[in-house]
This record gives sequence, C-alpha cells and structure tokens, in this order.
Amino acid sequence: MKKRYIIIFVLLVISQTKAQDKFFTKTGYVSFYSHSLVEDIKADNNQSLSIIDTKTGKIAIKILMRSFMFKKALMQEHFNENYIESHKFPKAAFSGIINNYEDLDDKITKTEITGTLKIHGKEKEIVIKTNVVITNSKIVLSGNFNVEVADFDIKIPSIVSKNIAKTIKITFELNHEPYK
Amino acid sequence: MKSKILKIVISILLLVSIVLIYVVKTYNKPHLDTKNSKTDFTITAQKFINEYLQDEISADKKYAEKLIQVKGKIYNISTLKGDGVITLKFPGLESSIICYLLPEDNSKALTLKKGQLISIKGICKGYLLDINMVKCVFVE
Repeated sequence: MKKRYIIIFVLLVISQTKAQDKFFTKTGYVSFYSHSLVEDIKADNNQSLSIIDTKTGKIAIKILMRSFMFKKALMQEHFNENYIESHKFPKAAFSGIINNYEDLDDKITKTEITGTLKIHGKEKEIVIKTNVVITNSKIVLSGNFNVEVADFDIKIPSIVSKNIAKTIKITFELNHEPYK
Repeated sequence: MKSKILKIVISILLLVSIVLIYVVKTYNKPHLDTKNSKTDFTITAQKFINEYLQDEISADKKYAEKLIQVKGKIYNISTLKGDGVITLKFPGLESSIICYLLPEDNSKALTLKKGQLISIKGICKGYLLDINMVKCVFVE
C-alpha cells in the first residue's frame, strides 16, 4: 500500500515538472491561396493566436481577418468589406483536439486535428491533417487543408466568380512556446 | 461625312482609354502609406488598451483599419521573420499593443531600449488578447 502511494507521488511530480499546462503563439502563420484560370490570389497572416492545453491536447485558434495581407490593396479591401465582412465578423476561430496527442514526441509525426472551424459567422466540423513535433520547449503544427467557400455562406459576385476559386487552400505553421 | 466618322471614332477611343486607365489604376491601387498618410487618431497606450478592454466591439468600430499614432512605453523589442516587433504596455493593464514594423524602420528599433517612451503609428487590425498594429513606423 505504501509503495503504491510512493509511485503515485512520483508520477505526480514527474507529470508536473514535465511541462507547463499551456503552450501558445501570438504570431502563428496562416495563409490562403485561391487558384483560378484568371488569377492566383494569396494572402498571409502572421498574427494568429493559438493555444494548446498540453494536458488534454485541446487547441484553440483565433485569427483577425483584417490581418490577412494581400499583394493588391483592392483585393484586401474587397475581401474585408464585401466577402468576409470583417466589420461584422472580425475573427475566424477554430477549436478542436489533436488526435493521439499523448503518443506524439520530438519526431515529425502525421496526425489529425478534429474540431470546429468558424468563419464569417458560420461553423463547420472539419478534420485537419497536420505534422506535429513536440519538445519540452516547443509544439510545432504545420500543414495545409482545403475549405469550400460555399460552406461559410460567403457570397462572391458573379462578375468576379471566375477570378476566385470555389475551394481555397489554407496553409499553416504554428510554433507554440510555453505560456509564461 | 468622313471627318464626322473620324471624330466619333476618336471620341470613342478616348472614352475607352479613359475607362481602361481608371480600371487599371483602381485594380493596382497602392496600399496605405503609413509614413506619409494623415493620422486618424492620436492616443496614449493606456487609453487605447482601456477602450479595447472595456468594449471591444465599439473600439473596433472606431479604430480598425484606421491609422493610429500611439504614445507609450516599450515593454519588449523582438523580431518576426526578420522584421522588428515593438510591444507597448501600461502598468496594471494585462493586454499590450503589438506593433509590427515596416522593414524600413527595423534599424531604428535597434537603437531603442525597454522602458523608453515612444510614439509609433500604424494600422490597427483589432484585438486578440492584445491590440495588433501593422505597417508601423516611428514618429519623431
């Protein structure tokens, strides 16, 4: 009986010194890419907020839509004012859970994140394939996935519908560090 | 008769080229030049953060996408992908203002120290735990 208590105590100490409970980044990279016959459109966001709870593998991401930087000012304006309507929906959000979290380590491993993506006020359940590397001082998630414009009730005027793809490719790289 | 047709053709050509120039100019409209554009608001870091903490939605309505000049104390100096990042804070307030510099002002960031009082202007992008400002330049 005594032995069992000692084991539990040791395990508790190890689990507490192993790492902090939360890892985060305020400068996560998220970009999207639209390919069409008329033109290719790309926008980058380097200010994404992402927090991982290392006890559970839960992840929460928030992104300011206005922080997407386009090459052309006019496209950025149309994106914010007409399509995404940043004045009504300033943020995109994702909350989910990293699958097989407890099996991941410092080797690059492919896994999936299951969760809910909210853009333009509309929610959609998605599964995102991701590469994961976990060390004592870092959690790096990177990968890409596709979203359908129609899933998020984003209206593209017919006059430019040939310029904007129906499926948008999202690329991400999130370098989390321990939350101080 | 011939000269009349010629006149019509010339005026149509002129009109088409004016429209074309306008379309191309609008399409290639430049991004806001933070250095040389007129500032929309001049504010202290304390007031700016407080307004966002009290009511994010109305602060966003007032400040988002606007050119803001902020005066405050440097809490941290860092870099992101080679460009300078200045964080302003006010004692007692949890949130900060994160200012992402334009590459042209990177060298100036190296001459600054933590705790120093500065004025900086940039485009406000909204609030995510902190106020985010991009394309920032220092104001003398």
